[in-house]
Amino acid sequence: MVELVPALLRQELARLAEDNKRLDGRGRWDGRDVTLEVDCLYNAEGSAKVVIGGTVVYAGVKFELRTPWPDRPTQGSLMCGAELRPVAGRKYEPGPPSPQSIELGRVVDRGIRESGCINMDSLCIVPGEKVWGVMIDIHVLSDQGNIFDACGLAAIAALRTAVVPAERFDVGEDHRLEVSGTPIMASFTRVGGRYVLDASEQEELGGDERIHITLGDEGHLHSLQKGLKGVFTPAEFAEIFEVAQQRCVELRKLVAEKEGN
Amino acid sequence: MGGYGDVQLLRDDGLRLDGRKIDEMRPVSIEAGVLPAADGSAMVTHGLNVAVAAVYGPMEAHPRKIQRQDRAVIDVRYNMAPFSTSDRIRPGFNRRSREISKVTAEALESVVLVERYPRSKIRVEIEILAAEAGTRCVGITAAAVALADAGIPMRDLIVGVASGKVEDTVVLDLDKAEDNYGQADLPVGILPNTGEIAFLQMDGDLSPAEFELAMEYNFKAAKEIHEIMVDALRRRYEGGEA
Repeated sequence: MVELVPALLRQELARLAEDNKRLDGRGRWDGRDVTLEVDCLYNAEGSAKVVIGGTVVYAGVKFELRTPWPDRPTQGSLMCGAELRPVAGRKYEPGPPSPQSIELGRVVDRGIRESGCINMDSLCIVPGEKVWGVMIDIHVLSDQGNIFDACGLAAIAALRTAVVPAERFDVGEDHRLEVSGTPIMASFTRVGGRYVLDASEQEELGGDERIHITLGDEGHLHSLQKGLKGVFTPAEFAEIFEVAQQRCVELRKLVAEKEGN
Repeated sequence: MGGYGDVQLLRDDGLRLDGRKIDEMRPVSIEAGVLPAADGSAMVTHGLNVAVAAVYGPMEAHPRKIQRQDRAVIDVRYNMAPFSTSDRIRPGFNRRSREISKVTAEALESVVLVERYPRSKIRVEIEILAAEAGTRCVGITAAAVALADAGIPMRDLIVGVASGKVEDTVVLDLDKAEDNYGQADLPVGILPNTGEIAFLQMDGDLSPAEFELAMEYNFKAAKEIHEIMVDALRRRYEGGEA
C-alpha cells in the first residue's frame, strides 16, 4: 500500500530541513520538555513517570525471590521489558508482544545491564539458594514520538528509587536498591535527510532510520542500536555522539534532582 | 470472597481499619485528557488505585466480520500493569481480564449512543497502574470520563462503585484487606442521572436486606463520584473550576 500522507509529509520535512527547521519550530538538537516523577505508584517497589512532549511512559520495578543459575550461584538477575499496548496509540493493536516492543525493551535492558550499575552479586541472599530477581516493566501509555528515551529514563529513575522489599519476603530489612550509575539514552532520527534529537510522532512517521545511544556517568558507551531502514556515515555518528553527551548529562541531572526528594 | 473469620476488619470504635466510616468511600480524584495520543482519556485515582483509560475512535471496524450494520461496536481491553499488584503479574490477557473486559464493554454499550456510528468501532483501553481492590469499578469510571472527553455522545455517564460485607456489616467501597477477608463484594456501574444499572457483578454472601443496603450505599457513592467526574470534564473544557 502506498502511504500517501507520509509521502507528502516527507516532502514537507525535506523542505523544512533545507532551511534547518523542524515542524514544531525546534532546533535540530532541541528536545521537548521532559518531566519526571518518581515513586508515583503504590505497589511498585520503584516507579517513575516520564512525559516528553505528548509521550507518556510509566516504569515499575518489582522483585522476586529465585534460585540462582547453577553456574552463577551468587548472582541475582535483572530483566527489563516494555509493553506497547493498544492504549499507546491508534496504530497499536492487541496481540502478543510485537517486534517493536521487544526491541524497545531489549535496548533499554542492555543500556542498564551493560553500564554495570547493578552489581548482580549484591542481589545474592543465600549463595546457591536464594537471589533477587529484579524486574523492570515499562508501560507506554501515549506515543507521540521518541518512546525510547522516555522508556530509558523511566526505567533508570524507577530503578534508582527502588526499595528492596526484604521484609515482605522475610529475608531481612527493606533497603534501597544499590544502583551505582545512571545510564541515559539519547535517540536520533533521520528527518528530511539529517538527524534530529528527540523526534516527534510526525517526524518519525515521515522520517527514516533512528539511532539510540546509551551513555554512562563517565560518558562511556553502553548500548547502541540502529533501527529501521537507512544508512549513516561515521561523520554523522560523530556529530550525534557529541550531542548525546550533552543530552545525557542534562537528563542525568534531572534524575539526580528527583532522587533527592 | 476469602471469608476468613479470624481477621479483624472493624475496629472497636466501629470504624474501619483505615479509619473510614462504614458508608464512607475512599478519596477519589479524576483528571480528563491525560494522554495526548488518544482521542479521549482520563486518569482516576480512587484510594490507592490508579486507572487510566484511553478512547480511540469512532473508527472503521475491521476485520469486517466484527462490523454491525446498525451500530458501533465497543472494544474494551482491561489490563493490569505487571507492577500494579503486590506480586508482579505476567504481562498479557488472562481469564479474569477477559471477563472484566467483556462485561465492561457491554456496560459501556448500554450508555454510548452506538446507533449513531454504524459499522464503526470505538476502542476503550483501560490500564490499571496500581491496584488496591475495586479496579474494575475504577476502570469503568475512567472509561466513562474518557468517552466523554473523546466527545462521544452518551445517554449518561456511568460510575463504577462497589459495596460489600465485612464482619456481618455492609460497608461501602472495600479496600484490599476488606476485599481479601470480607464476606461479599457487589460492584456495579450506575447511570447517575437515570438511576439505571449497566454493570453488575457480585460474589460472596448477602441477605436480601444486606443487598438493599449495599445498593443504597452504591447509589450514594455514585452521586459523589459523578460530581467529581463532571468537575474533571468541566476543568478540561471550561478551563476553570466548576
